[in-house]
Amino acid sequence: MSALRRRALQSLSIAVLLALWELAVRTGWADPLFVPAPSSVVRAFRTIGPEALRLLGETLGKTLLAYVLAVTLGVGAGLLIGGVRYLHDVVSPFLVALYALPKILVLPWILLTFGLAATPAVVYGVLQGFFPICLLVAGGVRDVDRMPLHVARSMGATSWQLYRKVILPAVLPAVLAGMKLGIVFCLLGVLVVEMFGGIRGMGFLLVSLANAFRAPELFAATALVSLLSVGVVLGLERLNQRLGHWR
Amino acid sequence: MRPVTAAHIEVRAVGKQWRTRDHPVPALESVSLDIAPQEFLTVLGPSGCGKSTLLSIIGGLTPADQGEVRIAGRPVIGPDPRQMAMVFQDPGLFPWRTALENVEFGLELQGVPGPIRRERARALLEPVGLRGFERRYPRELSGGMKQRVAIARALALDAPILLMDEPFGALDEQTRLLMGEWLLGIWARTQKTVVFVTHSLQEAILLSQRIVVMTARPGRIKASFAVDLPAPRDLDTAPAATLRRALWDAIRDESRRALDGGA
Amino acid sequence: MRRVVLGRVLLLAGLLGLWELWARHGDPLLYVPPSRVVPALARLLRLEAYPTLPAHVGLTAFEVLVAYALVVALGLSLGFALGLPRHVGAIYEPILAACYAIPSVVWYPSLMLFFGLGPASKIAFGVLLGFFPVVLAVLAGLRAVEPHLLTVSRALGAKPAACFVKVVLPAITATLVAGLRAGLALTVVGVLVGEILGARRGLGYLINYTYGFFRTADYAALALLALVLVLLVDGIAAWTESRARRWTEGAA
Repeated sequence: MSALRRRALQSLSIAVLLALWELAVRTGWADPLFVPAPSSVVRAFRTIGPEALRLLGETLGKTLLAYVLAVTLGVGAGLLIGGVRYLHDVVSPFLVALYALPKILVLPWILLTFGLAATPAVVYGVLQGFFPICLLVAGGVRDVDRMPLHVARSMGATSWQLYRKVILPAVLPAVLAGMKLGIVFCLLGVLVVEMFGGIRGMGFLLVSLANAFRAPELFAATALVSLLSVGVVLGLERLNQRLGHWR
Repeated sequence: MRPVTAAHIEVRAVGKQWRTRDHPVPALESVSLDIAPQEFLTVLGPSGCGKSTLLSIIGGLTPADQGEVRIAGRPVIGPDPRQMAMVFQDPGLFPWRTALENVEFGLELQGVPGPIRRERARALLEPVGLRGFERRYPRELSGGMKQRVAIARALALDAPILLMDEPFGALDEQTRLLMGEWLLGIWARTQKTVVFVTHSLQEAILLSQRIVVMTARPGRIKASFAVDLPAPRDLDTAPAATLRRALWDAIRDESRRALDGGA
Repeated sequence: MRRVVLGRVLLLAGLLGLWELWARHGDPLLYVPPSRVVPALARLLRLEAYPTLPAHVGLTAFEVLVAYALVVALGLSLGFALGLPRHVGAIYEPILAACYAIPSVVWYPSLMLFFGLGPASKIAFGVLLGFFPVVLAVLAGLRAVEPHLLTVSRALGAKPAACFVKVVLPAITATLVAGLRAGLALTVVGVLVGEILGARRGLGYLINYTYGFFRTADYAALALLALVLVLLVDGIAAWTESRARRWTEGAA
């Protein structure tokens, strides 16, 4: 099956789904109060457009900050934990447990500590993003093939050269994978805090629209955030492929 | 083992093309062959000549594009475990089943009740020398052992025909020789018809009553050699050496063509 | 190995010690040292603090159960529906993968709108979160089945139905159970997040409640309880997964 045919079938499926959805609302089978017709959602884009974009910008700002911190801390910790055997053995079970732990449990405490502004959103975003990045990078470091290292060392490479020319390129795919996962988690964290704490941003907008039963606007805003997120991840994926084309 | 009913395999002008993206690749071209009951026939040929495809067609796993295969007069339309059992180069044992459970597989499919098939399976592991290994899993077995389990699994079907596609190809030389001897013993005891595919001249001479040589792709039957050597076969005797030279003459050009043709 | 265990114990002790010291000197409203959490936990478990605790935990458990049952049913059905027919998976899997790139919580307000604040929205959110790993695991497992095993079983006389039951299902068991485990973890998270973001009853609601009333010690105790329950559930799932893996790969 060629890529073109696949894309065509995918687009067709989505189009059919949207058409059925529109039909369901038009014929009264679905209540437009809860399930807005796609046409009304498109119209709603225009209604909330400017405000939504502004709030999206706020959310993105916090997300970016959280992301930069999460990546820095996560990659740093990952390289350290993956590289130092003893550290990995000691810390690894804790990390895995913390990753598995529903971080929502500490959310109320974070809000208590940091108040109801941008800070808790960033903090929680970092908390969410840090673990997947750290674990993926640590895993990547541990999986580095030892053979090229031996060969390079036997050719007289210095520690710095080893690091730059052998280890870093080998670890890069794991780092990029972590970064791809991290952005979704950071965004998730920021949105959750905005929803829970009523902090200005996309999360708060979504909750407000839901409480006001403004279904078309809610769906439009949801679609906006979703498209943004997918776009960012696809962009990172493209970057990933460019940088890792030798694989 | 029960005596088996005779089966006569007729391959009539069989042709096969593999459909690829650009253009069809001919695998077999007008292959005709008669295999007598209880005969041990070897199909010898260079890599890519289509011998595995031919076996697959005889076994009913792949349909022929031209011609047909008949067994005891009836055309082959699909795998028929009551008539044919197949063994492949990759033993293909089910990793979640013990050796015994692997051997039982075919019997399970035929609906043979539990205690009976367990007994029959256990009885089959004895002649393959694996008594005591019933409860072992494939990951605990060596390559040769895995292949013996695969053969026992095929023998469990009690089919009159045994089709073998380079079954010893993945084994080291010593194991290969031992397995060959052991296979001959099984054949003598069960009196099955064996169609054995290999690219090893040595194996062909050591095991078969008749050797059929195939050309490089597209595969056709090039020559047929009867092997009248006495058992146990000894490759160092003059008649064996003569046969070997004849086989090599027949196959050398084909091998070179296969190598050059990027088969 | 001994050094490692020692390191872990020291790390844990060090962290707990640090927590205790820091919390003693901080605002008691915000910082609860372990020495205050433990008695709060005891009061909690004796049902002195919140006599209705079992009812709340029970509701959360019920939501998780219902959500997971749906996750298993829907996830497996969709997984096999997409994975078994020849080209269907290739068409729709990218769409599923794209959905994975969307932070799941964006759907929650829509679910609240549709289902209200009751258990239904929590169950729905749990299903939304948990069902993806299951579907993806089925697809990955089916893709990884060795084609040769299917050839062999056909040669031995297996019809398509027998091939599916006797070869495909055992072959994908390990991957499937791993996916079911991930799905369970996410379902639990989904239900908890749903309850904390807005509910009238349930463990998450209770946590929210204690936070709202600045009962920080109780909140810490509840969070700890929730954590223990989550670890317990995942522990059982992990044990099941390792058994399944060993069975598929053939170890007695």
